[in-house]
Amino acid sequence: MIPAKANQNLQTTKSGRKIRVKNAAIGWSFVIIATVMICLFYFYPMVQALILSFQSGTGTNLTFTGIDNYARLFKDPTFITTVKNTVIYLVIQVPVMILLALFLSVLLNNKTLKLKGVFRTAIFLPCVTSLVAYSVIFKYLFGQDGIINIMLMKVSFISEPIQWLTDPFWAKIAIIIAITWRWTGYNMIFYLSALQNVDESIYEAAKIDGASSFQQFFKITIPMLKPIILFTSITSTIGTLQLFDEVMNITKGGPGNSTMTISQYIYNLSFKYTPDFGYAATVSYAIVIMIIIFSIIQFKVAGDKNE
Amino acid sequence: MKKVLALFLVSILLLSACSSGSKEKANSGNAKDTKEITVWAWDPNFNIKAMNLAKEAYKSENPDLKIKIVENAQADIVQKLNTSLSSGTTKGLPNIVLIEDYRAQSFLKAYPDMFQELTGSFKAADFAPYKLAPTSLDGKNYGLPFDTGVTGLYVRTDYLEKAGYKVADLKDIDWKKYIEIGKKVKEATGKQMLTLDPKDLGLIRMMIQTSGSWYLKKDGVTPDIAGNAALKEAFKTYKEILDADLVKPVSDWSQFVAGFNSGDVATVPTGNWITPSIKSEASQAGKWAVVAMPKQTGINGSVNASNLGGSSWYVLNIPGKEKAMDFLAKTFGSNVDFYQTLNKEMGAIGTYKPAAEGEAYKAADEFFGGQKIISDFASWTEQIPQVNYGMHTYAIEDIIAVGMQDYLKGKDIDKVLADAQKQAEEQIK
Repeated sequence: MIPAKANQNLQTTKSGRKIRVKNAAIGWSFVIIATVMICLFYFYPMVQALILSFQSGTGTNLTFTGIDNYARLFKDPTFITTVKNTVIYLVIQVPVMILLALFLSVLLNNKTLKLKGVFRTAIFLPCVTSLVAYSVIFKYLFGQDGIINIMLMKVSFISEPIQWLTDPFWAKIAIIIAITWRWTGYNMIFYLSALQNVDESIYEAAKIDGASSFQQFFKITIPMLKPIILFTSITSTIGTLQLFDEVMNITKGGPGNSTMTISQYIYNLSFKYTPDFGYAATVSYAIVIMIIIFSIIQFKVAGDKNE
Repeated sequence: MKKVLALFLVSILLLSACSSGSKEKANSGNAKDTKEITVWAWDPNFNIKAMNLAKEAYKSENPDLKIKIVENAQADIVQKLNTSLSSGTTKGLPNIVLIEDYRAQSFLKAYPDMFQELTGSFKAADFAPYKLAPTSLDGKNYGLPFDTGVTGLYVRTDYLEKAGYKVADLKDIDWKKYIEIGKKVKEATGKQMLTLDPKDLGLIRMMIQTSGSWYLKKDGVTPDIAGNAALKEAFKTYKEILDADLVKPVSDWSQFVAGFNSGDVATVPTGNWITPSIKSEASQAGKWAVVAMPKQTGINGSVNASNLGGSSWYVLNIPGKEKAMDFLAKTFGSNVDFYQTLNKEMGAIGTYKPAAEGEAYKAADEFFGGQKIISDFASWTEQIPQVNYGMHTYAIEDIIAVGMQDYLKGKDIDKVLADAQKQAEEQIK
């Protein structure tokens, strides 16, 4: 406490308390609106969904079934396949994208680079496109007669068109390429802004000590960006676990269910099949649990003393 | 304290503004029930157009009734119905809604009492029998049958001629013969026989319905996959077609349409609703013909007629239902003249049997070399075997699509079907 302020308080205790009460009331009234709104539109549905996840039945004919839904998750081959698909996207796409974003941001942070703004905009631009719009475009790019196949054939890379969207393996690759295109620029912006905060003198000192560019990158840039890398990998993980628009629009989950994600399965359970909102809620809670687990792992692996 | 007071007043004002807003909406919802009914449907070129014609036709009956037709994508209608009906609120729902036959049972069973029974408001016996099973529940009619998804095999006569075939050679064939012809056509013209979307098993559905079989047993609940001879045969045929390299793979509707419009494929086995899309490529006029759907090889009782898609009108159990029922009964339910207009204006084929006697159904179509395609389709419609689509068409189809991928990769057919059966039994409750 500042002594001067304490004196003042002693002198005008009564009015001081009034002011404090008034200030507190105004403060609380600002907070209370947001709090009520968040509770009403965020926590209340979450609790309702949790209750719903213990029920099962078609449409409005719901009955409580205890943990049956959760037990069903482990026996449901479609759910297991969607988890596998999502994890494949996760373990391949997230690291590729993070590394690519890091690489690009270091390149674009180069002081001597000309037309920096143009390149930054070009790489960031995919992020402002609508998910559905870009998915539809990618669907046509990767079509049997799409421009990608035509280009690859023209340069004699392949002799027959690749079945990008109708072959289980290539369809996954197509999805991974699409999300990487869409989200790399987004992550790059975080790295760029973090790089601006890295003191130039550190690099100077390293150069004087004879560190190569590689050493500078691995010994300075990466450690300095560690919190941001952690942040982006967590948000990317969450984003990938909730992947929906791209798969829905590019392959509809096919062929078979070889590209279907967990979110799309939730959609199918609620809207495509005879609606079972209870089980759909259970699957969405499965995502919640997975996100929590993955985030904890990432904090443990990368977070150590930064937190 | 004044500020706090002001703040509270403002927030109360805001809150009351919100709530009064929703009240107004509710009021308007009630008001419109008296004189206006709302219809939801998809496809402006087909269903919406048909509804608009019905609206015109109904004017002479009851000029006071306002009919508001709202166009939504089918997926949106399904979502909106599901969310509204499951939340228990009927506000904002339409009086009449179009539902695809494959989904009808799932709606009727999932939301009992939400749909108005239509038994008696139209003569069920006047409609194609195969439409009645999906539109009724427990012996009561809930849906008024609308368009037929009767299928035909659209063929390019010029390609066939190059391979030494005439249209007559394709009449009432089975799939074995189809593949045989396909190989010859491929040799002679280098063109594929058909397009297939690996995510959409419409071809399988068409095949098994020619044999009166479905993914589910007659009760509409028990999966009928393992030991389903028709389905097994359909799987084999599907693989044979792929192995013979007769397929141009596609992954969505527009590629499917482009497949035949660009002349890349020699045949299109699908529902009659594709006619407008086929005709949209005017340069191919006179090069097409339609023959009956191939039947399954070696399956007893398989006929050369099947169905793909098709939908029916449903009335929701909300205020205004009597007016909505009357409107449907006097247009789609009984008006022969109206069906003639439908056919002349947009080539739509209903499932109302008396309409087939009309002049419009007997007209020859020059695009198809003067073939009377409408009357052909109408006669096939009556032969379509009746099956109960049940509640789970799409859920099972996703399971079967996975099985198909396994089968194509070389897994044993009986094992594939047994596994799919097991999974379907666990998933469907």
